[in-house]
Amino acid sequence: MSPTTLHHVLVNSGRLLVLAVILIGTELGVRYGVMSQLFFSSPSEIFGALQMQWAKGSFLPDLGITVFETMLGLVAGSLAGMAVGLILPQLRVVSNIIEPFLMVLNGIPVIVIAPLFILWLGLGLASKIGISIYIVFFAMFIPVYTASLRLDSTFVNALKVMGASRHQIFWKVVVPSSLPSVYTGLKIGSGLALIGAVIGEFVASRAGLGHMILYASGTLDTPSLYLGIITIAIFAAALSFAIDALGPVLVPYKFSDEK
Amino acid sequence: MLEFRDISFSFSGRRGNVEVLRNVSFACREDEIVAVIGPSGCGKSTLLSLATSLRKPSAGEVRIDGKVVKGPDPRLGMLFQQTTLLPWRSVVENVELGLEIRGEPKAARRQKAVSLMAQYGLGGFERKYPHALSGGMQKRAALAQTLAIEPTVLLLDEPFAALDAQTRVVIQNDVVKICRAGRRSMVIVTHDIAEALAMADRVVVLTRRPATVKEIYEVPFSREAASVADAPAMPGFADYYKRIWNALDISVTGMGAAA
Repeated sequence: MSPTTLHHVLVNSGRLLVLAVILIGTELGVRYGVMSQLFFSSPSEIFGALQMQWAKGSFLPDLGITVFETMLGLVAGSLAGMAVGLILPQLRVVSNIIEPFLMVLNGIPVIVIAPLFILWLGLGLASKIGISIYIVFFAMFIPVYTASLRLDSTFVNALKVMGASRHQIFWKVVVPSSLPSVYTGLKIGSGLALIGAVIGEFVASRAGLGHMILYASGTLDTPSLYLGIITIAIFAAALSFAIDALGPVLVPYKFSDEK
Repeated sequence: MLEFRDISFSFSGRRGNVEVLRNVSFACREDEIVAVIGPSGCGKSTLLSLATSLRKPSAGEVRIDGKVVKGPDPRLGMLFQQTTLLPWRSVVENVELGLEIRGEPKAARRQKAVSLMAQYGLGGFERKYPHALSGGMQKRAALAQTLAIEPTVLLLDEPFAALDAQTRVVIQNDVVKICRAGRRSMVIVTHDIAEALAMADRVVVLTRRPATVKEIYEVPFSREAASVADAPAMPGFADYYKRIWNALDISVTGMGAAA
């Protein structure tokens, strides 16, 4: 066995071991009363909560709603942030006028502005999607805007000398050189999209994983509370995994490591 | 033929008007290589940005084949000091960029780029990204990009400064050969006296700012030496080196003398 495969085997079996200790430890700890059932739930209790929520017919809709809000917030917020971040630096006067307003808006914590979205867009999905779009917009806008402002003038000059029009410079230099920042924006934005959706559900909602968590917390249904947290954790991990996989598509040259 | 006629250039800086160039006139004929040399910061690179219309002269005019230059001219090709290869494009996509900007059909421009790359020793590197290439090969690729649009006048702005000493001589030699083979005009801006003497037919020495033409030397080495590497060993080379050094009027008092 080569040192690198040995390393991989060690790391992976170590990870499985950590997971096993957590699962078995909480299972035994809760069952034998070492850990309070009010504060902790065993894996079997959490699985029971899943069966209960499933039977009630609310688990899949709750999950689906939060996933839908998150994805729509991520996609729409990212597209808006990208468009404004790319176009604004092209219009210097407009950009100088509205930059401070955007920065102040960006400084408002999302939890503070969430009730306003509920007021505007109601208790349904629209308000959650709105909040999600709002924070994702800034996560995407700021890196893209900064990158467009600091565009390498050598590239622009080289294209100008070749006779490129403003339009050609925008599409052949400005847009592609922003893609590493778009990737950064997506990475930050994917986490924030979920936060936005769940915060919206916390403030006021009738469904969604945030609603399920809040309801479980209010009724001291600890297993359902853990079920909500674990479901969100798995979704967040899957989302972040998917965004990482987008890297080689968006910025292939950053991932081609041959020298 | 490229002519600079009574060129003056100034810009308004923070401390008032800065006069960079004053009544600069010289020409570069067909099949001629002219080197422009001057003290650091004297505005020699500004001359090239005036020729390529990246800047406008305050007075005087730049002419190509007798016609005043008013915008980016297809007869001009420029090789910059910094790399202008776009990192997100493969090498072949970079080489064909100028043709793409001119709207040449994809198949035709790809064919031209591939054959140019083969000609300049870049065959097999078409699909690589620029960062996978050595400094010398990147310079060759940039040269192929510049030559793809078949300019009659080549402008070089200290293009070899970043290369190591041996690669530099090889590329200098290639550039001279390519230029002569196409009977092109070439203006090379440099701070390196040996480079100017080894590559050029005439050396234009500029003064400190505001720069005027101090002296123009006709030098035989580029045409008579077998290669750029052989030029410094030719009789008279050291003599010209000394004369140009003196014309540059740079004081080398040294640290001891200052004490």
